[in-house]
Amino acid sequence: MSEGKPLLEIDQLSVHFPIYGGVLRHQVGLVKAVDGVSMQIRRGETVGLVGESGSGKTTVGRAICNLHSAMSPDVKLGGQIWFESRSGRVDLNGLARKEMLPHRAEVSMVFQDPFSSLNPRMTVQQIVQGPLCIHEPDLDQKALDERVSQLLDRVGLQPQYAARYPHEFSGGQRQRIGIARSLATRPALIVADEPVSALDVSVQAQVINLMGELQQEFGLTYLFVAHDLSIVYHMADRIAVMYLGSLVEYGSAEQVYKSPRHPYTQALLSAVPRPDPDGKRAKRTVLQGDIPSPLAKPTGCGFRTRCPLAKKECAELVPELNDRGTGHFVACPVVE
Amino acid sequence: MAAYFARRFLLLIPTFIGITFLVFSITQFVPGGPIDQMILNMQASATEGGVGGSGSSVEIPPESLAALKEHFNLDKPFFVAYGHWLWDLVQLDLGKSYKYNTPVIEVITSRFPISIYFGLLGFFLAYLICIPLGVLKAVRHGSRLDIASSMIVFAGYSIPGWALGGVLLVLLGGGSFLDWVPLGGFRSEGWENFSIWQKITDQLHHTILPVMAYMVGSFATLTILMKNSLMENLGQDYVRTAFAKGLSERAVIFGHALRNSLIPICTGLGHAIGLIMAGSYLIEKVFNIQGIGYLGYTSIVDRDYAVVMGILVINTLLVLIGNILSDVLYVLVDPRIRFS
Amino acid sequence: MSQPLLQVKDLHTYFNVEGQRAWACAGVSFDVLPGEFLGIVGESGSGKSVTALSIMRLIPDPPGRIDSGEVVFDGRDLLQLPLNEMRRVRGRDIAMIFQEPMTSLNPVLNIGRQVMEAVVLHENLSQEESRNRVIEVLEQVGIPDADKRLKDYPHQFSGGMRQRVMIAMALICKPRLLIADEPTTALDVTIQAQILELMADLQNQREDSATILITHDLAVVAESCDRVIVMYGGRIQEVASTRDLYQQPLHPYTKGLMGSIPQEDSKGKPLFAIRGNVPAILDFPPGCRFCSRCEQVEDRCRSEEPPLVDLGGGRAVRCHLVEKLPSNAEAEEAAP
Ligand SMILES: Nc1ncnc2c1ncn2[C@@H]1O[C@H](COP(=O)(O)OP(=O)(O)OP(=O)(O)O)[C@@H](O)[C@H]1O
Ligand SMILES: Nc1ncnc2c1ncn2[C@@H]1O[C@H](COP(=O)(O)OP(=O)(O)OP(=O)(O)O)[C@@H](O)[C@H]1O
Ligand code: SF4
Ligand code: SF4
Ligand SMILES: [Mg+2]
Ligand SMILES: [Mg+2]
Repeated sequence: MSEGKPLLEIDQLSVHFPIYGGVLRHQVGLVKAVDGVSMQIRRGETVGLVGESGSGKTTVGRAICNLHSAMSPDVKLGGQIWFESRSGRVDLNGLARKEMLPHRAEVSMVFQDPFSSLNPRMTVQQIVQGPLCIHEPDLDQKALDERVSQLLDRVGLQPQYAARYPHEFSGGQRQRIGIARSLATRPALIVADEPVSALDVSVQAQVINLMGELQQEFGLTYLFVAHDLSIVYHMADRIAVMYLGSLVEYGSAEQVYKSPRHPYTQALLSAVPRPDPDGKRAKRTVLQGDIPSPLAKPTGCGFRTRCPLAKKECAELVPELNDRGTGHFVACPVVE
Repeated sequence: MAAYFARRFLLLIPTFIGITFLVFSITQFVPGGPIDQMILNMQASATEGGVGGSGSSVEIPPESLAALKEHFNLDKPFFVAYGHWLWDLVQLDLGKSYKYNTPVIEVITSRFPISIYFGLLGFFLAYLICIPLGVLKAVRHGSRLDIASSMIVFAGYSIPGWALGGVLLVLLGGGSFLDWVPLGGFRSEGWENFSIWQKITDQLHHTILPVMAYMVGSFATLTILMKNSLMENLGQDYVRTAFAKGLSERAVIFGHALRNSLIPICTGLGHAIGLIMAGSYLIEKVFNIQGIGYLGYTSIVDRDYAVVMGILVINTLLVLIGNILSDVLYVLVDPRIRFS
Repeated sequence: MSQPLLQVKDLHTYFNVEGQRAWACAGVSFDVLPGEFLGIVGESGSGKSVTALSIMRLIPDPPGRIDSGEVVFDGRDLLQLPLNEMRRVRGRDIAMIFQEPMTSLNPVLNIGRQVMEAVVLHENLSQEESRNRVIEVLEQVGIPDADKRLKDYPHQFSGGMRQRVMIAMALICKPRLLIADEPTTALDVTIQAQILELMADLQNQREDSATILITHDLAVVAESCDRVIVMYGGRIQEVASTRDLYQQPLHPYTKGLMGSIPQEDSKGKPLFAIRGNVPAILDFPPGCRFCSRCEQVEDRCRSEEPPLVDLGGGRAVRCHLVEKLPSNAEAEEAAP
């Protein structure tokens, strides 16, 4: 499965948000939320994207779904996001609204917050059929009803729930509604932005299982964004680790989770609590300090303010991801 | 921070110029423009029945027109005229009132003390009463006191100040029922010759109803704003933290919640400054007080444009300064705000 | 066995919800021993926070009320204390840390003042001594240059630093019991690791005092706690030492929770998920509160609530199947 050809090829993606201030609303800073990220997602695989809060995970996901220009008109986008669409290869990055429209059916998004991501004034039926009405305008209401009830049934909700409103559902059920909506247009790629973070532990497991089944059944490709490494390891074929807007490590789930090379990945993994009271690790590297503000990124390697291995030269050059063999990419010249 | 406020003050200049420019443009329409049209209309209706309380002629007297023309340089091109006017303005020369035949600045400043007296008094009384009342209502939420005061406050809110003033005057002003307060005016005649004690009681006598009329509108909004703001803060996590430290309810309310809940109130304070000066024509009319509101209205009716313009300019300046004051207050009460 | 520091006996707390009494905490009994790090786990709405707030008598009234029970601390029932004496217990003998470090600090008061407040209240110290105490405790929780930061406001600290300030605030009077309600839930993993390490260090320094750590994360419990209480639906479902609980969970709910977290060897396989959702507080079924989601449910479970049966060796379970469950002796044998 992992040897398929890339469905999505991100090349040097950068997303910068200018910050305006002062009396004349001039630009006072630039948030480099994503800075030079490159990766490939093959058809049918799940790529997990992990990193701490503010590292730019959501920003990458939104860039793929082309949501930035609509949300923040001043955003500065760079690089390419090549997508193998049904009609050929297109660069989704910064695509104009009209040209993006046909591809919206193929790339959909599941959001983190199941409470605010569903319109409270729309019924479940309206929410789920929304994308269908746009992309398959010739469906009549009967066909739509049919599709919606199939979708609801597939995500484990009773079809008669279609007439209800989101507030009548629990968090887990709402997330199922969100998944049904994202599946409606039979997309090839689903960007799932922390789909289980807001859910209870037992409900998290249900949603993870559901997403796994749906992937098998529809041959979906996932970009699975999360900050919980054990969930990402469970779900993903490959894992990308982000820190301060850049990828620091990228490789197969086994490579990244079992033998991490980058000092940040190592620290991140050692910080994850293990549900096993006897499996106390020999030594835990507790990182000192906090993530720096993306407004004032350190020069050179972004991690150097917290890196236990930092050397003088780390302040000078920005490390590039390079292949340490068999597709294991690490952005740190110090570790061999 | 200091730099921010310095810039804010500098920015006053272009804003002020912008606004005066707009105001000035209006004057350009005065003679021969739509306003003349209006005058004609009014003349027509005035012959049918008296319009305007002042009973003055609705026609602009020729001498006033001449003074206006001169002051606004109507014979010169627009921008030159504006430049002249602005330059006069900077020198505090707002032209001459044709009605009073004195410089506008004098006409206006002569009314200042009265407006400031009522405005500030009403303003401070409102804050002095509403804040403690709002706090009390929040702490005793749902009590009889809370419900009863809400009813009174909202009843007051739904009655316009001038109407309340009128009703109270009828009831208490010695006409039909009780004779507790004088019928209006700022002071009694011959006040200057009263003894100190008489002066004070006389002044209070004349003050009490107008101030009530001034306050009644803002009373409800302010009280309820205070109450809601404090209630909201009492539900915050940091209040729970404070209780968990072992603080008493008093200490939690006054040491923690109150300051946070004053934030929205403080910011309103600056804006209110501009309103103090604006006065209220109707209230001043009811109580026969010669304040700015009254002056503004009569000047419009009398086409005393120089005065109208003067009041507009001064109010604009006050509102602008009030906004800056709001920001200063904001910074003082909320450490999270750092303008830069 | 030493005398318990705190004994909670048959605690009942309800909230008025839609005109009915919703029992958020129904018959909770447990002891806290000196020197112990006790965990309370359970999903959202299981009554963990309500239990903690009831101990502190901080339940918002209305809508809530502590109905009955005893909370014995130092030989006195806290629930019977006059309010002014209870205030002397809060902050001095029992201190609490809350989940949201941003909103739990007063935004308009500086850190120094907020931390100092409790010492000034509970101890007869001079201004100078209190100040030194504040600096000392802030340094103890790892805030560098504490003396220079006293005049800083909460928004000038990062999330992790704020939580350190909260901990300093709680520890300043050297309380004998520290209750931490989800202290790391809002934090990133690397910061969570810092805070958990700090709490463990501090617990080791204060020998005869105890900590109650409330969390929904079983992995956090495994890392930190000696003993665990599992709650569901306002009741204790299982009590065990951390090791016993992880090696052999007995209650079907505990088993479900364990199965819900991805383990290293569960990769690619579906997780064992508990079916359904946590019911809303008024919708819990009669009988065993877990019966609507339990795989092993029997008829009597639906009508009759099982008692919390003490199995000896510090283990207790609330389930009708207790006889069929592997006994404690077997559990010990199973352990190496
Ligand atoms: N519209 C925007 N304008 C300015 N800055 C933004 C905008 N959107 C995101 N950012 C900044 O970009 C950075 C990355 O944000 P992003 O939401 O992608 O992080 P994340 O990795 O998803 O974090 P989290 O785990 O908190 O969701 C943050 O510092 C954020 O403040
Ligand atoms: N102020 C309140 N008013 C009404 N019901 C409340 C209130 N506080 C708590 N409850 C109810 O009490 C029950 C237990 O709540 P509690 O806060 O103890 O849950 P918890 O176990 O701490 O969960 P979480 O992980 O979400 O913090 C919940 O079902 C909640 O609805
Ligand atoms: S480049 Fe230097 S600072 Fe960055 S991760 Fe490697 S060793 Fe650490
Ligand atoms: S009592 Fe019955 S329903 Fe409850 S946990 Fe035990 S088996 Fe399940
Ligand atoms: Mg995000
Ligand atoms: Mg809680």
